[in-house]
Amino acid sequence: MKQINGTAFNIEADILGRITLKGKSIFSRKDEILVKSDAKDLPSGYAALITNSVQIAGRKPCVGNVQTLEDFNEGDVVLINKKGEIVFLYEIKSLHNAIFATERCNHRCIMCPQPPVAEEKDKTPFNLKLISLIDKNTVEIGITGGEPTLIGDKLFDLIKQIQKYQPKAGISLLTNGVKFADKEYAMKLAMCKHHDLQIDVPIFSDIADEHNRIVGAKTFYKTVQGLYNLALFHQRIGLRIVVHKQTYKRLPQLADYIYHNFPFVSQVAFLQMETAGNANTNLEELWIDPYDYNEELKQAVLLLANRGICTRVYNAQLCVLPREIREFAVNAISDWKDTYLPECEECKLRQQCGGLFASNQKHHSAHINPNLEDITASACV
Amino acid sequence: MSENYKILPFRFARFNESEYLLTNDVGEYIFLSNEDFEKFINKELDVKSTVFQDIASKQIATTDNVEDVVNMLATKFRTKKSILRDFTSLHMVVPTLRCNSSCIYCQVARKNMDDHEADMTKKTAKNVVKTIFESPSPCIKIEFQGGDPSTYFEMVKYIIEEAEWQNLFKKKDLGFVICTNVTLLTPDMVKYLKKHKCDISTSLDGPKELHNTNRPLQDTTHTHEKFEESIKMIRKICGNDCVSALMTTSKYSLGHFKEIINEYVRMGYNNIFLRALNPYGFAKQYKEKIAYPVEDFIENFKEGLDYIIELNKQGTFFIEGYASLLLKRILTPFATGFVDLQSPAGVGIAGAIYDWDGNVYVADEGRMLARFKDYYYKLGNVNEDSYQSMFNGEKLHHIIENACTECLPMCSECVFQPYCGADPVRNYSEQGDMVGHRPTSDMCKKNTAIMHYLFELLKKHDPEINRIFWSWIN
Ligand code: SF4
Ligand code: SF4
Repeated sequence: MKQINGTAFNIEADILGRITLKGKSIFSRKDEILVKSDAKDLPSGYAALITNSVQIAGRKPCVGNVQTLEDFNEGDVVLINKKGEIVFLYEIKSLHNAIFATERCNHRCIMCPQPPVAEEKDKTPFNLKLISLIDKNTVEIGITGGEPTLIGDKLFDLIKQIQKYQPKAGISLLTNGVKFADKEYAMKLAMCKHHDLQIDVPIFSDIADEHNRIVGAKTFYKTVQGLYNLALFHQRIGLRIVVHKQTYKRLPQLADYIYHNFPFVSQVAFLQMETAGNANTNLEELWIDPYDYNEELKQAVLLLANRGICTRVYNAQLCVLPREIREFAVNAISDWKDTYLPECEECKLRQQCGGLFASNQKHHSAHINPNLEDITASACV
Repeated sequence: MSENYKILPFRFARFNESEYLLTNDVGEYIFLSNEDFEKFINKELDVKSTVFQDIASKQIATTDNVEDVVNMLATKFRTKKSILRDFTSLHMVVPTLRCNSSCIYCQVARKNMDDHEADMTKKTAKNVVKTIFESPSPCIKIEFQGGDPSTYFEMVKYIIEEAEWQNLFKKKDLGFVICTNVTLLTPDMVKYLKKHKCDISTSLDGPKELHNTNRPLQDTTHTHEKFEESIKMIRKICGNDCVSALMTTSKYSLGHFKEIINEYVRMGYNNIFLRALNPYGFAKQYKEKIAYPVEDFIENFKEGLDYIIELNKQGTFFIEGYASLLLKRILTPFATGFVDLQSPAGVGIAGAIYDWDGNVYVADEGRMLARFKDYYYKLGNVNEDSYQSMFNGEKLHHIIENACTECLPMCSECVFQPYCGADPVRNYSEQGDMVGHRPTSDMCKKNTAIMHYLFELLKKHDPEINRIFWSWIN
C-alpha cells in the first residue's frame, strides 16, 4: 500500500479519515483530514491536518513535514498513526482498491505475498467505517485478506455496507472458497443479492494432493464443494491460477479439468507470481522464468478460450508472452506495485503492458525485449 | 501389487495395435499405451507419474477419498443426463397423410392430394394440444410431420393457435417446426409461419438428378427447380437461416457425398446431417431398390466427413451434424438432446408422435409399425386416454426399462456407451425384440465405426482439426 511519512504532532491513536484539499463546511469535517501547504494550525472540526510545515501550533493532531502534498487527492482515505506514517487505504484515482477483511487465513500458500497472522482483533468495525468514507462513485472494490470468509457472517455486513455507500460498485471477493462448502453460508452470500459480485477462487492443480501441498491444507475437495454451492446459487465465479514452478507443468490438464468440472465459471485468470512475502522466501522452489512456461500457458489459455470460457492473463509482460495469447493479457497490477524496466522506456507496447511488480524488479524474465515496431496487442476487457 | 490407488468405474477397448481407449460414465476419455494400460490395471503405476495424474484428472482412478471423487462424478453425471429432468419436449404432430411427393423411401401410408380420409379433425387436434401441454417440460416443441403438413395448412394454423392460446396460461418456452418439401408454401403461408415463429425444415438429398430420383413430386419432373424457387422465396421473407434441410441417403446417393455436400454449400447452407436410411418395415422389393449394406454408408460417411473438414480448412465454415453431436458428447461436459440417440432412449420420454387419428406413439417408427397392424408402441389415443395413463403407464415404463445402454447386453461394456444411445423400437422391428442383438445390429455397426473414426481424428492432435471441431460445437 502507498505510504507517506511525516512528523507526528499530537497523535495519540490511529486516525482514519478522508483527504480534503479544498476544505469542507464546518458541519461535515468530522472525518475529514485537511491537506494544506504551509499551515501553522488546524481550523476547528477536522480530524487532522497534513502539511509540509514543521512548526505546528496548537494541540490538534497533525502530520507535518510532509514533502509530497501533491500525492494526495480529494477523496483518498488514509490512516495516520503516532509515528507520522500516512497509509493510503483507498485511492480515488485507482481501480484496484480493496478492503482487507482479515489478515488471518486457513491456508498457508507457499507463494503467499502477504503471509497471514495468527491472531488479530476484529477489523470489521474499522472496515465498516472505512467503507463509509469511500467515494460513492467508486466502480470496483475488492474484498480480500487473509481469507475474508474467516470473519463469518460479518463478511455480509461488509458487502451490505458497500451496497449502501457505493451502490454502483462491483465487488470482487477473493476467497479460497473453502467456507462455501457450507451450503448455508453460500446461500447467505447469494441472499445479499449484490448486483455485481464476482467470487474469485484460486485453484492450483487438477490433482488434489498437488493443490493441497501448494496451499498448505487438505482443502481441495472443500473448495470444489464450495464452487458447486456457489454455482448452485448462481453466483458469478472466477478461477485464478498463479503460475510458478510447481503449477506450470499441468496447466493444460488443469484447464481441461476446469472445463469438465467447473464449466459454469465465468472467467479463468492465469497470474504471473509476485515475488513478495512467502514467494520470496521460497523463491528457489517457486521461481521459473515466465518465458519457460509459455508453451504450457499458451495451450491452457487457448484450450479454455476455444471452449468459450473468458480467459485472461494477468501481470504478464507482453514481450515475454507468446503472440497467440497476447490478446488475453490484462494489465491489473495495483498501481503502487507497478513498475517498468529501463528498457521498457522505448517499448511500443508499454501502454498495454502490465509491466512488473515492484517486488519482481530483481526477479524478472530474462526475455524482456522492448517492442520497437508499432504493433498493437488488443487487451481483453 | 501395491494398493496405492483405487480404480474407479471405466470402460475400455483396444483401439489399435498399440493403444487402449478408456472412457467413463461421464464421457471423459484417455488413450493409454498397451504397456501403461497393463501397469495401470495391475496397480503398478507410480502415482506421481504424469500418466497416472492424467488418469486421475479424468477421474478414472484416484489416490483420494473415493467419496469425494464420486461426488464430483455424480455432479457431472447429473449434468450429462439433465435432459431427463424435463421429460417430453419434442411433440410431433401429423395433421394429415396427404402429400404431393412420392419419395422412393417413403414409409408413410401416404394419401393422394384429394383424399381427405386421413385428415385430423378439430376435436382430435384440440385434444392433441391438451395432451402436449400436460407434459411437465418447460420447453415444448411442436413439429408438424406428414404426409406433407403444408397440404392441410388450415390444420397447422389451428394447432399453432390452439397451442399459443394454451400457452397464455402455461407460459412455456414454446416453439414450432414444420417439416415440408416447401413446394406448396405460398408467400402468405411463409409470412404466417414467420409471424408465429415456426421454423421450416425441409429435405434436400443432393444435386438435381439425385434429388429428383429420391424425392420426385407427383405432378412434375421439375422437382428440384420448384424446390429451389420456394427456398429463395422463403429466404426473402424470413432470412437466410430460417429454413434448414435434412438429407437421406438412398442407394443412389452412395458415391456422391461430395456432390451432395457441394449442393448444400451452393444452396447457402452451412451444415448437413449425413443420414442413413432406416430400411425397416419395407416390403422386400423396395428394400432391394433403395437399401444398401451399412458398411457402404460408413465408407461414404467417412469420405463425406473428410471432405467437409477439408472445406473448413479452406475457409468455408460447414458443419456435419452427426459428427458435431457426437463430438459434443465426447468433448464437453454438457447434455445433448437428440431424441434418436439417448440413454435411456428418447422414446416417449423425450419425444412422442401424435398421428392424424389421435393415436400417440413413442416414436415415428412406432407409427410405421402400426401400418403393419403392430400397435405395440402405441401409448393410447388423445380422444380416449388420459395423459397419465399414456405417459406414466406400464407400457412406457416397460419400454424404457429396456432402453438404457448402461445395462443392455454389450452396450454396458462398450467403450462408446457414454456417447451412444438405445433404440428399442428399431431393435424390435429389425431384430424382433427391444433388447436387440448388437453384433448383428446395423445401428451399432454404424455408431461404432463413426465414433472410432472421430477418435482417430481426435488422436491426431491436429490443431486445425481440433479448431474446426470446436467451431462446430460452439
Ligand atoms: S519491454 Fe517492458 S513495456 Fe514492453 S512489453 Fe516488455 S515488459 Fe512490457
Ligand atoms: S449400440 Fe453399439 S456402439 Fe452403441 S453403446 Fe451399444 S455396443 Fe456400443
